[in-house]
Amino acid sequence: MSVAELKARHVAATETVNSLRERLQQKRLLLLDTDDLIEVVAVAGYAKAHGKSSVSFGATDLVCCRTLQGHTGKVYSLDWTPEKNRIVSASQDGRLIVWNALTSQKTHAIKLPCAWVMTCAFSPTGQFVACGGLDSVCSIFNLNSPSDKDGNLPESKMLSGHKGYVSSCQYVPDEDTHLITSSGDHTCVLWDITTGLRTSVFGGEFQSGHTADVLSVSINGSNSRMFVSGSCDSTARLWDTRVASRAVRTFHGHEGDVNTVKFFPDGNRFGTGSDDGTCRLFDIRTGHQLQEYYQQHSDDEVRHVTSIAFSISGRLLFAGYSNGDCYVWDTLLAQVVLNLGSLQNSHESRISCLGLSADGSALCTGSYDTNLKIWAFGGHRKVI
Amino acid sequence: MQNGFVLRVAGFSTAVFTIITTIIITMHKESYRVVATAKSGCSSSVPSLPPPCPKSPPEYPDLYGKRREMAKVQMLEREIGFLEEELKSVDSLQPASRCCKEVTEFVVANPDPLMPTNRKNRRSCRFWKWLCGIPCFNFSWICCCCYSGCSLRIHLPRCCDCNCNCDPCDLCNCCSCIRCPAPNWRCCSCRSCCPFPCSCSCCCPCSCSCPCSCSCPRSSCCRNISCCSDCCTCGFPSCPDCSCCRCSFPECSCCTWLCCCPRWTFSAPKCPKSPKCPEVRLCSNCTKTCCNPCCLFF
Repeated sequence: MSVAELKARHVAATETVNSLRERLQQKRLLLLDTDDLIEVVAVAGYAKAHGKSSVSFGATDLVCCRTLQGHTGKVYSLDWTPEKNRIVSASQDGRLIVWNALTSQKTHAIKLPCAWVMTCAFSPTGQFVACGGLDSVCSIFNLNSPSDKDGNLPESKMLSGHKGYVSSCQYVPDEDTHLITSSGDHTCVLWDITTGLRTSVFGGEFQSGHTADVLSVSINGSNSRMFVSGSCDSTARLWDTRVASRAVRTFHGHEGDVNTVKFFPDGNRFGTGSDDGTCRLFDIRTGHQLQEYYQQHSDDEVRHVTSIAFSISGRLLFAGYSNGDCYVWDTLLAQVVLNLGSLQNSHESRISCLGLSADGSALCTGSYDTNLKIWAFGGHRKVI
Repeated sequence: MQNGFVLRVAGFSTAVFTIITTIIITMHKESYRVVATAKSGCSSSVPSLPPPCPKSPPEYPDLYGKRREMAKVQMLEREIGFLEEELKSVDSLQPASRCCKEVTEFVVANPDPLMPTNRKNRRSCRFWKWLCGIPCFNFSWICCCCYSGCSLRIHLPRCCDCNCNCDPCDLCNCCSCIRCPAPNWRCCSCRSCCPFPCSCSCCCPCSCSCPCSCSCPRSSCCRNISCCSDCCTCGFPSCPDCSCCRCSFPECSCCTWLCCCPRWTFSAPKCPKSPKCPEVRLCSNCTKTCCNPCCLFF
């Protein structure tokens, strides 16, 4: 077959794919049997119809009770330990800092071989931290190992293999020896840290997967074999780690890069945040888009969603935006109940990352203003 | 006789060779004449030969491009198969309302420490919140109770008054004090001491925001401006106001921010190397896929 014939086949196949996707979307719309089929308000429609009242925050109900100062560059990523209230943060200053969230003390300041770090993660036991960035490598550090003669913590492992930057990483729950990374090379990889080798590659040039940079991963806390990824191709994909050849499901709907994905606490839904300014809630078993969270503004500026996190019950969705806002959404009624970005003592710049503590009692936000802040339910007076 | 025969054969061969050579030379002359005639515009009665030209190289098939195109087509055809399977399975999916029901039931069934309390409890808590609004040096135990959640069932904890001469509290979680290392340091919250003056209150965690008044580089700068008792063991100091510590990323001088910490006074660390980017795009058209650090970290 000639190249010209192949190109014609390519065009025809693309049209068929687009047509099938359109048909699929139409069929899914028919299954949205709650109110307002035009806009996706399935959860809100159901909740209102069943008399759910909205969440109401008082002025001092959610307060900033810690400001973690120490980074000298923009904070890009943070992660809590599963227990013991420690946080690891990654910054443009080329360091990881491990904090005691209760006392604000720094327990480790790790100088990185490559300063352009984009992501960090704590291992389930809290003994290791992982990070990755523009060097296309995921580096592992053992917090209990002694420092070298220069006072730096040496890398205990380097996971090499990605052909693009490492945008996100997360340890598999309850396994210090496996983690999943997402990359600018359009793939996600499951790593065996002990051997330093790739166990599985999800997507890629000749496999069915994302067609652009993958920016975020989230592993299902209820079933660690499932994880979702978000990409610059405007889709999120659900993967089964036992089947790397194709995604279990692809979730369309966003109109821009999907910057962040996070599983809903029940493990059957997940949220996304995108450059199109919306957050969305998807169901993994049916593929339905259950809810869209979008706040219209008077100006036409689109505020990109940079990071999201769910509260432990799932009732609250925290979303950081590129303009410095941090909306707290009532997930059931799709209403903004609070803007942490407008509170006193809030960040002075964009919130780039956020994460909830393991017990759900505190939210940590990281910002381009170089600080991290911890927010908790108040009932106490603010710091004077 | 034999010699004569050989001589006649040799002579015949020589003659043939001479004739062939003459023909070749004549053809060349003709071709040159044709070229000359073509150039001069004169016609000639001898038919013109095509001008000499080198042979074009053979056309090799663009295997790499073809294979790439084939791979793309195969991926699309595979995607078509997946979409057709999904279309068949959509009919058997449960409607969205059932998913919404599951979401709602899960949310309602699980407690959430970040959710505000209900209206009834909040009303009863207002008294305690008001009480917490007054200076609580003498009422710290009440503030401690308020901190623990404004429960109607008030316990009277054996709580200290948050100074350094107290024993750790059993129940009050905001007033467990430790002995402070220096006389001018004050215990202001659980497990930490802040140098005086420090913005804190008994009821709330101490923020330890200490003003910086020293000038760098001095080895004591770190201790004066940092809330850590030994900033070098904590990694590096928090010194945003320190005049010597200005970083202009990504210039090499960014490393000099470490001058506040005595450990690195004499041996500044090396600056990070530029990463190798698979693609470099101009800053003006940069998106987050751009791997030029100037663009990515805007």
